[in-house]
Amino acid sequence: MAIYLQTIANGLMLGALYACLAVGFSLVWGVLNVINMLHGSFIILGGYLTYFAWHYYGIHPIVMLPVVALLMFALGFVLQRGAINRVVSAPVLTTLTLTFGLDMILYNLMTYWFTATPRRITLDLGAANLGPVVLPVDRLLGTGLALLLTFLLYAVMRGSNIGRAIVAVRMDRTAAELMGIRTDRIYAITFGIGTLMAGAAGVVFALVFPITTNVSGTWLGKAFVVCVVGGLGSVPGALVGGLVLGLVESFAGFWFGPQNAITAGFVLMLVLLLTRPTGLMGVKGYE
Amino acid sequence: MSRQGFFRSARLALMAGGLATGIFASVPAGAQDADTIKIGAPLALTGGLADEGKKQDIVWKMWVEKVNDAGGLQVGDKKMKVELIEYDYQSEGQRAAQLAEKLITDDKVQFLFAPFGSGHTKIVAGVGERYQVPTIACVASSESVFDQSFSHLFGTLSPNGGMTTAMVKFFKQKFPDTKTIAVLGRDDVFPKSMAEGIAKAAEDGGLKVVYKELYPVGTMDHAAALSSIKAAKPDWIYVTGYTQDLILARKQMQDLGVTAPIVTMVTGPSYKEFTEGLGPLANGVTSSSWWHYATSYKGQGVWPTTADFYSDFKAKTGGDPDYVHGSCAAAGEVIADALKRAGTLDKAKVRDAIAATDIQTFYGPIKFGPNGMNLVRELPIIQVQDEAIKVLAPADIKNADMIAMPK
Repeated sequence: MAIYLQTIANGLMLGALYACLAVGFSLVWGVLNVINMLHGSFIILGGYLTYFAWHYYGIHPIVMLPVVALLMFALGFVLQRGAINRVVSAPVLTTLTLTFGLDMILYNLMTYWFTATPRRITLDLGAANLGPVVLPVDRLLGTGLALLLTFLLYAVMRGSNIGRAIVAVRMDRTAAELMGIRTDRIYAITFGIGTLMAGAAGVVFALVFPITTNVSGTWLGKAFVVCVVGGLGSVPGALVGGLVLGLVESFAGFWFGPQNAITAGFVLMLVLLLTRPTGLMGVKGYE
Repeated sequence: MSRQGFFRSARLALMAGGLATGIFASVPAGAQDADTIKIGAPLALTGGLADEGKKQDIVWKMWVEKVNDAGGLQVGDKKMKVELIEYDYQSEGQRAAQLAEKLITDDKVQFLFAPFGSGHTKIVAGVGERYQVPTIACVASSESVFDQSFSHLFGTLSPNGGMTTAMVKFFKQKFPDTKTIAVLGRDDVFPKSMAEGIAKAAEDGGLKVVYKELYPVGTMDHAAALSSIKAAKPDWIYVTGYTQDLILARKQMQDLGVTAPIVTMVTGPSYKEFTEGLGPLANGVTSSSWWHYATSYKGQGVWPTTADFYSDFKAKTGGDPDYVHGSCAAAGEVIADALKRAGTLDKAKVRDAIAATDIQTFYGPIKFGPNGMNLVRELPIIQVQDEAIKVLAPADIKNADMIAMPK
């Protein structure tokens, strides 16, 4: 029994991290119709900023969270304004190629500057015991932050003018423009928020995983799966998608061995694509 | 196709155009001297294996510099300078093959140095074999690379097998209560062969294998496997993978309270990145390695003793060399020795001379078996103690006693 509870706990904690990783990717894809190949590298960049601040200046990762978020927002905003906006209405393959190229640059610059050596923030925070279940504190913290960030984004989308404007642009760009929404600016803000979320995920991940450029493709792949499972462009969708993927990988790893854990995630994705292409939460569209 | 595979292919396809430019940009100027010996090296200088690729790059350049400062390599009655031609294959196997081919056909290299790892070595060795260019592999230890009947591939590492049986015997002697082992391995050429090797050696040695699973490349969470291992309560936990996998696994073991009197990670502690990334968590982890700078071998070549190599390396880089550095530097000595004995650059004679290699170097003895691998010898068993590497065995080079894994 204990092992099942532990497996559920492992899955939920992992799932919350997946949700945090995917929500920005999902937003950009849903609103801009841009498949942001940079997303994985943005997460890594956020992780490195956190690591270096901690390593050289002793700044706690939690303190770095707002700083990294702000920096990454600025980076995303400028990138969208300067580069991606130029081709944003082109077919999806064009924007994909652009972000892909930008990713090559960012990825290789990071490997060049920081090397691919895995680094780790050695703040070992220990573990909490809940009956027979062991909960690593850093993962708990990561889970909490992931849920908080996801909720914040949800609140911004629903409650603020910017959020409503983003949703409006997603629904119908032309109509939104006719209503006086400056879509270029909304695109840049959305991409900025997507980048911010990637950077924030990087901070959270820096507490849990070793940081190395190697894994940027892995994170990007997870973001894809979470989006397909949960439904595109929706904050609750990313949350549900992440949690489901975390649980599925955790149980598959326990029942069928770790070798098949990742496969199970993809099988789930395929089944959903066949039976429910909108994803678990994608029916109502955005919000 | 795996997800990583998908992105790799996409990257590859989209960057094919960019690659050509890269190649031409990196061709060294004035490389057409007939009196030089050219060694080609497709290297992973960027991408996932960049750290390992750079290790090879450092020691090969050190070796070439030393050789050329001394006038070059002796071939018959004259000395010939050595030129190393390197290309970055960006950790993409297929590109390594293309660049190996280019090195042979365009740059006319006489020898190839194979890149890091059993998988990519196999790819490059295939190209070398096709053109009958001797390929020296310094970081491939899986026998599956050397059982292809290649006659031009030679490896300076000894077979993996030398690492497993001796380790089981050693641990059983130090911890006689060891009855069970759990094995978790990365599903990749070398880590998989080590995981399978240790499970077999453990069974042969009378241990019970209570858990044995592989995890796929790209796994970023070991919680499920470690929770199962915890439930099996093994006396010995053996995990294989690359540094990043092992750092994550060790951290998650700590988080989930998974421990055993013996914890072995291969090749983790052989790399200083492992101990640096883990800090105190690395303490107690055991491993095996092909070479350690604490050994004291003597022999021929530009570095007559292990200490000479160590001090040279330390002066050059400020760090400590690991087995990759040692083995790759020794690969140069194989070529030097073969040319001296062959006395000519004639392809067939040079190949035969390499096959007949039987030398002592700062790295240890090098003598190739019929499959081209360096012969089995007793390999060091190491342990992290106080965040430093100690050698536990073999007895003649040990500098510490084994301790149990701290709770």
